[in-house]
This record gives sequence, C-alpha cells and structure tokens, in this order.
Amino acid sequence: MPKGDFGDFGELKEIRLPANPGRFVRIGVIGAFVLILIVTSVYTVDPEELGVITQFGAFSRTTDPGLHFKLPFGIESVEKIPVQRQLKEEFGFRTISAGIRTQYSSRRYDEESLMLTGDLNAASVEWVVQYRIVDPYKFLFRVRRVRETFRDMTEATVRKIVGDRTVNEVLTVGRQEAASVVEQELQDLCDQYETGIRVEQVVLQDVNPPDPVKPSFNEVNEAQQERERLINQARSEYNRVIPKARGEALQTIQEAEGYYLDRINRARGDSARFVSLFEAYSQAPDVTRKRIYLETMTTVLPGVGRKIIIDESAQGVLPLLNLEGAVSRKEVK
Amino acid sequence: MKSRGTTVLIVIAVVAFIVLLNSAFVVGEAQQVIITQFGKPVDRQIDTPGLKFKAPLIQKAHRFEKRFLEWDGDANQLPTRDKRFIWVDTYARWRITDPLLYFQRLRDERGALTRLDDILDGETRNAIANHDLLELVRSSNREVSSESATEGEQLIQLETIKVGRNSIRLEILEKSAARTSDLGIEILDFQFKRINYVDEVRQEVYERMISERKRISDRYRSEGEGETSRIRGEKERDLRVIRSEAYREAREIIGRADSTATRVYASAYDQSPASREFYSFLKTMESYESTIDPGTWLLLSTEGEFYKYLKKAK
Repeated sequence: MPKGDFGDFGELKEIRLPANPGRFVRIGVIGAFVLILIVTSVYTVDPEELGVITQFGAFSRTTDPGLHFKLPFGIESVEKIPVQRQLKEEFGFRTISAGIRTQYSSRRYDEESLMLTGDLNAASVEWVVQYRIVDPYKFLFRVRRVRETFRDMTEATVRKIVGDRTVNEVLTVGRQEAASVVEQELQDLCDQYETGIRVEQVVLQDVNPPDPVKPSFNEVNEAQQERERLINQARSEYNRVIPKARGEALQTIQEAEGYYLDRINRARGDSARFVSLFEAYSQAPDVTRKRIYLETMTTVLPGVGRKIIIDESAQGVLPLLNLEGAVSRKEVK
Repeated sequence: MKSRGTTVLIVIAVVAFIVLLNSAFVVGEAQQVIITQFGKPVDRQIDTPGLKFKAPLIQKAHRFEKRFLEWDGDANQLPTRDKRFIWVDTYARWRITDPLLYFQRLRDERGALTRLDDILDGETRNAIANHDLLELVRSSNREVSSESATEGEQLIQLETIKVGRNSIRLEILEKSAARTSDLGIEILDFQFKRINYVDEVRQEVYERMISERKRISDRYRSEGEGETSRIRGEKERDLRVIRSEAYREAREIIGRADSTATRVYASAYDQSPASREFYSFLKTMESYESTIDPGTWLLLSTEGEFYKYLKKAK
C-alpha cells in the first residue's frame, strides 16, 4: 500500500536538521542514508508470488520471482501476491493443523453450516473452496477486503443452490452436482465483482442432517439393514428346509418304486412256480396231492407240541386229558 | 559562527519544503480524491492515481475508496408472509460513484454504512414480509433428480414457486438503488447470506424431520417382517406340496404294484376249476407249515388220512 503521508521524507528531514559539524556525525548520517536507500530499493519476490509495483500509488508494473530494484524512499512500493499458491477457505469447520492426522477445531460453526433445503428441511453442510488469485491488479484495486467478500459470496451461493434441492438430494446423490453448480455460479459472481479470483474447486465435505435429527437418519439405515437381515434369515431357513424335503420326497418315491418291482417280481415268480407245479400236478393229480399232503404232515407234525392219537372206538378219553399240562409240555417233549 | 544569510536561506528552504510537502499528495490506485478550499468543494475531482498537487494550506484533499466496499447486514429475526420467523443475514457490495455528492451527503464511510443499514434493512424487512418462506429459500422450479427418492418412497417433488430468491433479491436491490441514487453511491449487489429458522421453529422442523425418518424406518421394519412371513409361508406351502406329492406318487406306485400283482396271481391261479382247487389245497398245506407250532396240541383220529395206517395197513 502506498504510504500516503511521505513518512520516509519526514525521516530524511529529521536527519538533516542536526547538521552539526563533526566527522562522526557526518559519516553516521551518510551511512544511514545509504542504508535506507538500499533497504527501500531492493526486494525479492518468492517463486509462488508476483510483485505488484505502484509508483506514487499508481499501478506501474508486475515483476516475476527473483531479486529486483525499485525507486527508493517510498516513491515505488511493492505488494507481493501469491498467484501460484492454491488458497483455501473452509466453511462449517476449521483446520487447526494440517498433517497426517489433521486436527480440526472442536468448536462448531453451526451458523455457517446450517441451511435450509428446498423442501424446508434443515441440513448441515461443510465445504471447502479452493481458489487462486489470477489477476493481482483486480485483487488489489477492485474490491476491498476480498477475503471476507469471497466468504460472503460463497455462503450466499451455497445456500442458494442447497435451497433449490431436497434434503435427500443434498444428502445423497445430488452432492457432486450441487458442488459443480456452486463452482460455476461462484465463478460468475467473482467475475461480476472483479475480485481477480479463479475458483478451482468446491468440495462439499460433510453433508449431514442436523445433529438432533442424525439418530433418526441412522435409524433408517439400521431399519434397512434389519429388513435385509430378516429377509436373508427367512431365505436361508427356506433354503435349509426345502431341498432336504425334495430329497426326502424322492426317497419316498424311489422306495415305492422299489416296492412295485419287488411286488411284481414276487407275483410273477409265485405265478410261474404255480403254473409249472399245476402242470406237473395235472399229469397225476391223485398221487401228487397225496404226496404233498404227506410231505406237509411230515414237516408239520414234528413241530406240534403234543399229539394225541385217538381210536374212534376208544371213547371218553377227552376228560382225562390234563389241560393244565401246558406247564409240563417241556417234559413231554 | 553562522552568517545571517545562511540562516535566512535555511529558513526559506524549510518553509519551501513544508509548502511542497503540503501541496503534493499521493492518490492510490484504489482511491479518488476531491479538493476543498476552506471547506468548500472545488470543482476538481481526481480519480487517476499518482502524485498530485494542490494549493498548499488553503486546500484540503479528501480521499475516498474507489473499490467495492462491504456492507454486512445485521442478522435479524424477521417474519415472512406465511408467519414464520426466520433469521436473515444479508450482505451487499457498494462503491462511491460520485465522491463530491458522497462527501456532501454522507461525509464518510460510517455515515454511508448507517444510511445503507436504514435502506437495505428496511427493504429486506419489506420484501420478506411480502413473501412466503418458500419463495425466499428457493430460486427455481427445477426437477428433482429421480435418483434421490428413498427406496420404495414416492419421489418428493418441490413445490412450485412463483417469485424465487433471486427475484426478491433483485427487487430489494432495485428499490435500494432508487433510494441511493442521490447519495453518490451505487449498490453493486445484494445477497441473502444466511436464512435459517429461529430456534423454536427449528425444533419443530427437527421434529418433523424425525417423524418423517421414523415413518420410513417403520416401513422398512414392517417390510422386513412382512417379507419374512411371506417367505415362511412359502416355505410351509412348498414343504407340504413336496411331501404330499411324494406321498401321492408313492401310493399310486404301490397301488399299481398291488393291482398288477393281483392280476398276475389271478391269471396263474384262475385257469380252471382244477387249478383253483389245487391252489387252495396248496395254500392250505403251506399254511399248516406256518401256523402249527410247538404250542399246538393236535387230537388226531386214526380214522384220519394220516394215521389210518396205524391201525391197519390196508
């Protein structure tokens, strides 16, 4: 900034007035003069900066990084603007110290982050704007307090854009889109204000429901998870039972088929045997019949517990039978 | 020992220096200057930067900003037309267009800001009282992205607005501009920085949001339970279908087996009266073998077929 009141000349005046003779004083005065000359005419511009030179307050030129000279004693003054540096403004939060584990201020900036959505709900939006000074002339000479202006512009723009969206959009799918619209509109506003700023990126960091509402938003997520869990459980139960039942059903059917074959084969076998037997029997029915009878008796009679052979003529034997003899059957045997 | 002449020279030099110092002044790149002579404005206005001169002592330079200046509205609690109380925070950018007029009417920046407070706060109050909250929040009737719908919910469309934030903003700007035209200043832009519910309304809104979320989570829960019951029902049904079908099929097969077997037996046994008789004889014989056991007592008569030879071998 130009020093309006010629502070340097005033200094010069004071030095000249005590123009007393004396070598040391004279040397001292000349030495001071030379020192001030050097200090006020040499300057360096850092690599990321651009030097803006004003001569008597009027813009003169810009200088690139390096060592430079200007007219001394406040005739020319320099203002260094970091044009290459990406600058950042934070809204709704503040970084205390950036690093691997960036620290954020624990203070809440609700007044910055709370805003109304288009469906008249509230949302808490935290965002960052990255920008660069592309026109140092405009940045210095067009707008006073550019940083505050820029912050105000950004807040107004973000609220305008969020105000045109539903809370669902802002919280979910619409974030990216909203950020890019903000970027666009903010740039337009920057151009309108002649701030000399180029907006590089607008990033919506945390978009959340307001704190008191947060638990119920989480509850929705939980409920959704629970729904999936319940359904999956039911499905897994289904999957555990049904294939097993299908297998069992097949078993039942196979067993029935087995029975079928068993039954048919036995019937066929029995029949074939009977047919053959009957054929042979038909050749000599009487004797065969007798043979079968006698053979059967031979097989059967040894197995009978007690045999009593009665003559037709011997009457009255029945009452003598010890019907309780079942006990002593073994002895008889 | 100084000579008289030297002293006079020094005095003249000092006076000349002071006069020069008083007449020269620097106008910065961002400044504009008007000159007054004994307090009365001279018809001279400097709006180019650089080293300038004026008559010493009698004239005075007044510097004014040429840049856009800030005005930050007082965050205020205001009622909208639909009787909702909201916090409104505004800002504006303005600049001095006519420094002389500005100097005469407002004197300095503090004066200007006070006037701007009056004008802009007043217009803001009017505009807000004349519009519904919705018109202040929204700026267009844009379509809501269909992807944002909560699963299974109907997509919430935004209500249609008639005026919108931007038009209200421009309206305030226009009305204020009309009132500032004779002050030597121009308002470049006016914006609503923040619009928020006042605390009591905010609680209500939060409660509404909570109940809305609760409705959605309740629906998810009941959907989950409903779907679970449906799957359980399906399981039971399928189970019964599978089991009964298997039973039916098995029974059909068994029935077929029995009927076929019966036919096969019948075709073998039922050839003629002789075969029928032989079958019953044979079956009887077989049944003796299986029905007579050591617990059986037999009373056999010698008249019978088997023991008749016991008495006589005829």
